[in-house]
Amino acid sequence: MLAAVFLWPLGASVVASFTREGQWTLANYGTVANLYARDVAYTIGVAAAGTALTFALAIPVCGWLRLRAFGPVEFLLKVPLFVPFVVVGHALRVFWSPYVPSFSSSWAGIATALAWKHLGLAALLLLGAFRGTDDSYLEAARQLGASTGRLTRDILVPMAAPALAVTGILIFSSMLASFSIPLMMGRGGGPQMLMIDVYYRYGQHGDFATASALGVVAYLLAMGAALVYVRRLTR
Amino acid sequence: MTVRAATLALAAFFILGPLLSLGVWSFAERWTYPSPWPQRFGLRYWARMLTGDFLDPLYTGLIVAVIVTLLALLFAVPLGYALARLRFAGRTVILLAFLLPQAFPQLPVFASATREFYRFGLAGTMTGVVLVHLVGGLVFAVWTMTAVFRAIQPELEEAAYNLGASVTRTFLTVSLPLAVPGLVASALLVFLYSLDEFTGTLLVGAPFVTTLPVYMYTASVGYELQIASVTAIVLMVPGALLLLLLERVLKAEYLVFFGQV
Repeated sequence: MLAAVFLWPLGASVVASFTREGQWTLANYGTVANLYARDVAYTIGVAAAGTALTFALAIPVCGWLRLRAFGPVEFLLKVPLFVPFVVVGHALRVFWSPYVPSFSSSWAGIATALAWKHLGLAALLLLGAFRGTDDSYLEAARQLGASTGRLTRDILVPMAAPALAVTGILIFSSMLASFSIPLMMGRGGGPQMLMIDVYYRYGQHGDFATASALGVVAYLLAMGAALVYVRRLTR
Repeated sequence: MTVRAATLALAAFFILGPLLSLGVWSFAERWTYPSPWPQRFGLRYWARMLTGDFLDPLYTGLIVAVIVTLLALLFAVPLGYALARLRFAGRTVILLAFLLPQAFPQLPVFASATREFYRFGLAGTMTGVVLVHLVGGLVFAVWTMTAVFRAIQPELEEAAYNLGASVTRTFLTVSLPLAVPGLVASALLVFLYSLDEFTGTLLVGAPFVTTLPVYMYTASVGYELQIASVTAIVLMVPGALLLLLLERVLKAEYLVFFGQV
């Protein structure tokens, strides 16, 4: 089942990316380099900005929640987990559109929407990691007068560093491959997210070979993330 | 106290603000830039919900989700049991393979799957959409069922064996009943995943099979922001119910074991 509907098409797209009109060639990657190099850089940039924003919001809030539990905020943080991707894209589009119409399709708009959606996952993983740290360290620092911010920065974050790294990788690679959120936020002018390019290259131009080459670039980016994850598992 | 209130207010604004704006948009019969507030409110777009435009994708999505959930569990219950109880070579590989559809960029794979589906006449059919949903749904089903069966103490099964019960009988009368709460959680996750699935449905289902997320996308592309907002609100209902249910009964722990081999 998995093999037929996932692994086989995955393989087929890798093969297609190296062929054009029945010949083995690297021409598709030439097209990618010529037309889409800027979009690849843009996608990495948006994903990095989105991940940074997610952490900038999640770390202080989760640190605060670790030190003084507060149910309502914790509940709110879980909400994005249960909102479908398409709905997130649309909600953040109409949220801005009456006031700053061009914001939603800008890089900052897409990064904000991606951060909104991934806040739920980040909160779940970070709270789990923060709650796994020993109370005695926190108590000791608190006795010495450390504030919530200091405790988060100097104790919780360093002690949860491995979990933070995995969370960051998961979120970053998910943002790289995001499709529905940028699609729903509308196409502005200028560079596009990689998956949007794949969709239009395949759907509009019917150019499966180049779309696949773009896909392979995305696989490689995701694979880098997966490798780090597997290395951590096997260590 | 003030820090608490401020954090709650900020979190509420950031998280709920965009969702509330969906609500405002769904009642906005006229709202043009730069007016800060809709010029005319009304129920016109909610009334559209009662027409076939909206109801047909809703039914299609529900039917697909029910079939996907049943098939995924039929497959994941024995597989999850085997993965939890038996130590065989390749166990870790199978578990990790079932993480791939979530870890890998889905769109290029689904585009490729659509091309393969064309060769077998599956593109644009319900069967094709069910198959593509099953791939993602199995990720949730297999991982949850493995964790659920692993949480059941093997001693209980050994006691049944010692009393002379067969493997099948032990599974059906001891293990399976103990797994029911986890089974329900797993079914809900798969059902929700299928109902919300967009990418695979858009590619494989086109042009004949439309579910609500695809309908919503079509509306939004046609600048029918109100229709899309009404659909978005309807799409959030099952997720909201599941969130409350998990909070009350099932606990989010069911979601945390992902990726732990």
